[in-house]
Amino acid sequence: MNIETPKGKQPETHIEAKGFSIFYGTQEAVKRVDMSIPKGAVTAIIGPSGCGKSTFLRAVNRMNDLIPNCRAAGELLVDGLNVYDAGIDASVLRRRVGMVFQKPNPFPKSIYDNVAYGPRLHQSYAKRELDAVVEESLRGAALWDEVKDRLNKNALGLSGGQAQRLCLARALAVNPEILLMDEPTSALDPKSTSRIEELIVQLKGRYTIAIVTHNMQQAARISDVTAFFYEGVMVEFDETSQLFTRPKEKRTEDYITGRFG
Amino acid sequence: MKQTEQFILSEADVRRRKFFTGLGQTFLFAITSVAALAVLAIIFFIARDALPFFSGSRTWAFFTSKEWYPTSATPKFGAAAIFAGSFIVTLTAVLFAVPPGILAAVCLSDLLPFNVRQVVKPVVEILAAIPSVVYGFFALVVLAPFLQDTLGAASGVNALNASIILAIMALPTIVSVSEDALQAAGRELREGSYALGATRAETLLKVVIPSAMSGIFSAVLLGIMRALGETMVVWMASGNAAQIPSPFYNLLQPIRTLTATIAGDMGEADQMTGSAHYHVLFAMGLSLLIFSFLCNLAGEWVVNRQRKRLRGA
Amino acid sequence: MTMWKRKLLDRLFSGSAYGAIAVMAFFLVIVIGPIFLKGIGAYLFEGTIDYRRMMLNQFNRGDEQALDVEWAEVKQERKIIYDALFAFEKELDNMSSSRRRELKPAFKQTKEAVAILLGPEPGTPLPALPRRLYGQTRWERAELKAKDVLFEESWDYSGAQGKKVMTPRAPLFKGTALEPLFSKIEKDLESLMRPERTFYPQFLTDKSIDAHFFGGIGPEVMGTIYLALGAMLIAVPLGVIAAIYFQEYAKEGFVFSLLRSCVNTLAGVPSVVFGLFGLAFFINTLRVSPGKSVVAGALTLALLVLPTVIRAAEEAIASVPRTYKEAALSLGAGKWRTILTVILPAALPGILTGIVISMGRAAGETAPIIFTAAVSVGPMVLPSEIFTTSTPALSWNLYNICTEHEAVDEIRHVQYGMALTLVMIVLALNTLAIVLRAKVSRKLKG
Repeated sequence: MNIETPKGKQPETHIEAKGFSIFYGTQEAVKRVDMSIPKGAVTAIIGPSGCGKSTFLRAVNRMNDLIPNCRAAGELLVDGLNVYDAGIDASVLRRRVGMVFQKPNPFPKSIYDNVAYGPRLHQSYAKRELDAVVEESLRGAALWDEVKDRLNKNALGLSGGQAQRLCLARALAVNPEILLMDEPTSALDPKSTSRIEELIVQLKGRYTIAIVTHNMQQAARISDVTAFFYEGVMVEFDETSQLFTRPKEKRTEDYITGRFG
Repeated sequence: MKQTEQFILSEADVRRRKFFTGLGQTFLFAITSVAALAVLAIIFFIARDALPFFSGSRTWAFFTSKEWYPTSATPKFGAAAIFAGSFIVTLTAVLFAVPPGILAAVCLSDLLPFNVRQVVKPVVEILAAIPSVVYGFFALVVLAPFLQDTLGAASGVNALNASIILAIMALPTIVSVSEDALQAAGRELREGSYALGATRAETLLKVVIPSAMSGIFSAVLLGIMRALGETMVVWMASGNAAQIPSPFYNLLQPIRTLTATIAGDMGEADQMTGSAHYHVLFAMGLSLLIFSFLCNLAGEWVVNRQRKRLRGA
Repeated sequence: MTMWKRKLLDRLFSGSAYGAIAVMAFFLVIVIGPIFLKGIGAYLFEGTIDYRRMMLNQFNRGDEQALDVEWAEVKQERKIIYDALFAFEKELDNMSSSRRRELKPAFKQTKEAVAILLGPEPGTPLPALPRRLYGQTRWERAELKAKDVLFEESWDYSGAQGKKVMTPRAPLFKGTALEPLFSKIEKDLESLMRPERTFYPQFLTDKSIDAHFFGGIGPEVMGTIYLALGAMLIAVPLGVIAAIYFQEYAKEGFVFSLLRSCVNTLAGVPSVVFGLFGLAFFINTLRVSPGKSVVAGALTLALLVLPTVIRAAEEAIASVPRTYKEAALSLGAGKWRTILTVILPAALPGILTGIVISMGRAAGETAPIIFTAAVSVGPMVLPSEIFTTSTPALSWNLYNICTEHEAVDEIRHVQYGMALTLVMIVLALNTLAIVLRAKVSRKLKG
């Protein structure tokens, strides 16, 4: 990783951290991380719980703003712009950086309104255009066939796997460039998990995907590059095949061979 | 279809956005302040209309004299008997209400199975929801004749009648707040005691109730506030005689309370504004306010002390 | 302590705890029971011919022709009474003066009691008060008033406590022309009064006639609705906005805890002090109205329920899962958008529960409106008059007609009816709240 790269000049880098830290009060949860997440690829972030991987991910679309006493230092660039700059509009940033959360969190509204929520925020659509966006997004999340007959039913009636795909469709509907996934399958059964994994692979290329997971097999299956975090420090960052077969660091090896974590 | 929307704002935009966010927050803050500072306005306006009363000898007589003749040619504003009346009914009502209140709370939190509790809780809520004037009506047309016939009281409207009704009204408050406190004591505590072979009564009396004591204390304080501030029931059921019963524990005699005096004497408020009689009623209102603040403070003090103790432990 | 003693203590303790619950249920039944049983009587009762005449004259309700026929029959029956009175009056003139002195007071009382039972004697000038225009309109009152004709009431003070003694009048008038009157009233009261099962739902909406002797409680119901709705109209926006501020914007600190304890203190202010404040501030200082008015009362009640509304709204907002908020923000919604489109809709049932309960409280409160809004007797207030006119209200007028009314005993049914109506309004609102709350908890569970 070349930290000296002038910002925005390297087309394949989409998200770049430069000496980026996050503090909860005085405690440093993410410690001076440097990494470049490539465009259009799937980047997995792994590590034991409490290692700061989620905190790092949630910094990309500034979701950490919700936590009181949380502040950032260093730079975190998306398309060459520091997301923590004063002039950044978090709403626009978040429209371009979608997110899927650990537990499926559909709104207590109809399936249609869930997907239409984002588009309606940013633009006024004619009914037919909106229908098209909703259908396209639901198809993108491979949910359309299951729900097309009950779009007006409350989304809380969906199963866990369906709900998570709905959340994915909801995120796709605002047409983001980056998708952040914070352990998206940890609350799901194996069958639903593999459907989500298939989807991630399908979506690769069109979207830059960063996924936090504590499931190493999952990271190995679906990601192109992998970062290993430990106690707030990014220990190793490499192509997935490389990191899982020939880790450079002792701690990485210990973790992926299951000695701790 | 990918649009590259600029997510960096110009400096002017940043300033504009800050301005509007600030404006919105200021608006919210202002509305909230109006809501919250209402209580300061209440203190101010009650005090403003009460202070003209407190001049020289009138102040002393107000607290010590039993002579309450506000409308005579040479009016006398001795409210000692009225203060005593308020205290007598409040104290009696709370004495009546606390034991069954705590027991009922214990029953709700520890004895009744979940689905029975779902039925009983609305009973408590309904008891709390019945308007006070309806309780007063009940006191007047049902309880008063009953007391007169069975206890041989000279009149059915007396301190006992008011105390009984006030106790019924204070019960729901005491029950629900104590129940919350008992629930909050936690299952681990109970299990710890049962594991040592304690019976249910021993667990509750020696472990659970002591640990919920601060909550129960605030329940009792709330009950006191409810009884002290209640107007309609005491006005309708207490007999409204400005006298200290002799002996003071003779509840079958009529008494008069602060709240009932305010409600009853302010009747012709439009004509009274500015008179000494008007101001003395505000002085009584101020006294009530001060009592309820003291209760509030005591409650907060106990809760804070408990919190500190738990943190320290 | 031995085992059996411990067991016994345990039993005693549990027993008394169950007993405490039973005592509360008993109170509920004892308080609500009579109000229900007797309150129904305002709506459903045995109405006499005089009731139907009154309704026709005063409210223009009923079948005029049928009533004419019935009235002619009843007049025929009542003629016996009036004939007896007339004949006895003649007879009285021819009596010895000692006998006359003995009978005349009793006769006068009888005549008055008959006028109360059956209405003014035909041919005499009509009384001014509507209550004297008709005989007894309710059968149970008629039976009671018939006793006043038949018996002389006196008090025996020989014992420690006075005892009521009822002496029949009939023996006194034995052998006189008045005698048939007593036997007619004793045996044939029904044909004199013609009681009929009557359902009077308009009790809820009718105006009252002659200080609640006849008619309904319409102005009071309307006043209560004005005051409760008005109070909520003011308190809900204030309360919900304050709740949003407390939950979503305020940062811990001095200002926050000051505002917080202000709201808590407001909740502890006695209701009669709110009344004093309303008088001193809204009427005497702000002069929102020249004197008592609906608006002054609604403002006062709004302050009273404000802490409840704030607390309920805060709880509802706090119970909205954080994940909803995160999802909305992650889609690019701003803070306000998130609050308006996700948090408030999800918190709505909870907020509504609080609103409904507060509304019940506002409808039932009396002390705050005594000096700010309530009036003992008055017509129904029009929406255009809310800034200038005081209004009757169920809570205040219930107090008024059971303590300060000139004939408290005569209108018990109205008092009970009013109490029942007020309790029903409050209970309906509380039931609604319980249902709403059940819905919320179901939703949060599944």
